[in-house]
Amino acid sequence: MKEMGPPIEQLTHRLSETPPDFLDEPKIGQTGRIHVDAVVNDLLQNLGMAPDAEHLDRFRGSSAFEDRNRLSIVLLLCWLLHDEWFQKASLDINDIWSLLYIEADALADQVAAGKFVSDPDRREELARLSLARVGLCPEGESETQAQDRLTSLSSRERARVLAAARAAEERAREIREKLARKAAEESADKWTRE
Amino acid sequence: MEQITDNERYPTLSDDGRRMLRFLREHPNAPIYRNQSGNRLTAQDLERVRAFEKSEGNIPVKWSPSALPTWVRTFVEKCMNDVPFYRRYGSIPDHFEDLPTISRADLGRDIAVFVPDSLSIERLINFRTSGTTGHPLLIASHPEVAAKYLVFHKRALKRFGIELLNGRGKVGVVLIGYQRKCFTYVSVTPSMDESGLAKINLYPTDWRNTDDRAKYLDALDPEVYTGDPISFEILADLPLKKYPRAIISTSMSMSEALSRRLRNRFGCPVLDIYSMNEAGPIAVADSSVGGHVLLQPHMYVEILDPDGRKVPMGQRGEVTLTGGFNFCLPLLRYRTGDFAALRHSAREPVLVGLEGRPPVRFRTMNGEWINNIEVTHALHKFPIPRFALHQKSDGSLQLKMHGARRYQRAVIGALKELFGDGQPLKLETFRDNDEKVIQYTSEMPGD
Repeated sequence: MKEMGPPIEQLTHRLSETPPDFLDEPKIGQTGRIHVDAVVNDLLQNLGMAPDAEHLDRFRGSSAFEDRNRLSIVLLLCWLLHDEWFQKASLDINDIWSLLYIEADALADQVAAGKFVSDPDRREELARLSLARVGLCPEGESETQAQDRLTSLSSRERARVLAAARAAEERAREIREKLARKAAEESADKWTRE
Repeated sequence: MEQITDNERYPTLSDDGRRMLRFLREHPNAPIYRNQSGNRLTAQDLERVRAFEKSEGNIPVKWSPSALPTWVRTFVEKCMNDVPFYRRYGSIPDHFEDLPTISRADLGRDIAVFVPDSLSIERLINFRTSGTTGHPLLIASHPEVAAKYLVFHKRALKRFGIELLNGRGKVGVVLIGYQRKCFTYVSVTPSMDESGLAKINLYPTDWRNTDDRAKYLDALDPEVYTGDPISFEILADLPLKKYPRAIISTSMSMSEALSRRLRNRFGCPVLDIYSMNEAGPIAVADSSVGGHVLLQPHMYVEILDPDGRKVPMGQRGEVTLTGGFNFCLPLLRYRTGDFAALRHSAREPVLVGLEGRPPVRFRTMNGEWINNIEVTHALHKFPIPRFALHQKSDGSLQLKMHGARRYQRAVIGALKELFGDGQPLKLETFRDNDEKVIQYTSEMPGD
């Protein structure tokens, strides 16, 4: 049985007011400004937990292409969990890791981080997902209601993402085939060749 | 391989154009044309190419050193919404410099994810490049993009006082090569009123009689020759009576001495254009401004350090491109693998000291490290079509050269002067004209 959490509106409102520091560029290699590992460390200490350095390594990132969106989502989750309500609750560090590791990773494949701030449905999805993963229900909702609403939000989005991914893969395949069918120089005239 | 017909190769071909093709193919001194190709331009394509020439041909290439060109923000948004690869970056950053950079390796992994979703792929074509490292790369393109190259060539030629004149019934360009195997064909250029285009190989086996080379080229009397230093070296030795109005080289390794030789031989400007399959003609060398001036108004150039940060103005770093006219391959912070400094003159940005590939350090006899650009400067005065310098782990040098035999002693002297007394140096020649060249390499530890 899940415990009662804060009202969902409190969290969606918090996301819509994310301060610039949590929207800034994650530090990856020599680019970006925000050390996400330090932000995660602050969060956990704020929640009365003691993270070890090894766990924090994952929030440093090595490739902007692979890690930028994931770390941007981690920053948003940190901002969300900094809500006063969570400081008073007793959360399990494993749930927090699961949210910041696994869920952030999965979301990064589907949605650009900025949408979790600008799009009302995605704000609600992130707020509900965060509550569910730390074992809480939004205030005023039963566990079933909360689960139904989260499933509805995320499955619609997942279906959209899956359909888009399928279409993208099909198009990429067509492009590869189309290019492979053409002989290079048979293509078209240029006045110079590189 | 896709089988295509002449109607597809030359969709707008007129009777005059047909006569030109016949003249090029059936001239008694013509080479053995081994292949076929065409412009593939429809009437609609041609209209777009002409409109593009009117707009892009005259806009100044300029931006403030302290601000992004105004079009870049819109371009970034379009890329991140419409191009699968860039969409993966996530949200559009507030600062352009926070965007990841990409390299040739990213394009090589899968070019398909760089083609915008909104683009019809029906008429997609490709250009294949093997590059200096031998890793093949397939570039997505379109007949319209190929035709637009000429807009930037004209822009470069204009800088040297040349306006192209040859149209119907005349030959506009001959692309020359000198390789054992070379793709050769004839075509016409619709945007130049169907002036003739021939891509030929000066290698003897492509001709029934080697004397035919000069006879054929004199008969064609092209307005422009384009090619690389090796083929120009051969061209300069042919007993041509008709001279072009301009020569365009798209290889960065053309020495000043060879350029001067060609200028003296043909009495025309020799343009050294920095060009690549990924982005088309980017810049043209202009000694009056001390570097290469940019040709594309919608190509933003940054100079980055190895960590992807902008270097201070005037410092050397990797040439990185955003924008371009190949709508099948929008480039967002593409690291070219070429190195230069960027200087903003009063009139335009200039690439200074442009060199292909990452800088290589060589150790001199007194233990000092020098950059490969110093070797380039030392050998600049010799008309060597092609060379490669390698330093072994024991400090000895291996110099590979093609042609310029009579300069060998002087070249060795120049290198010994640069590296110091007692520098061990072995001279070799390229076994094969088609051999790929990485110009500077070193086994020295720490490099």
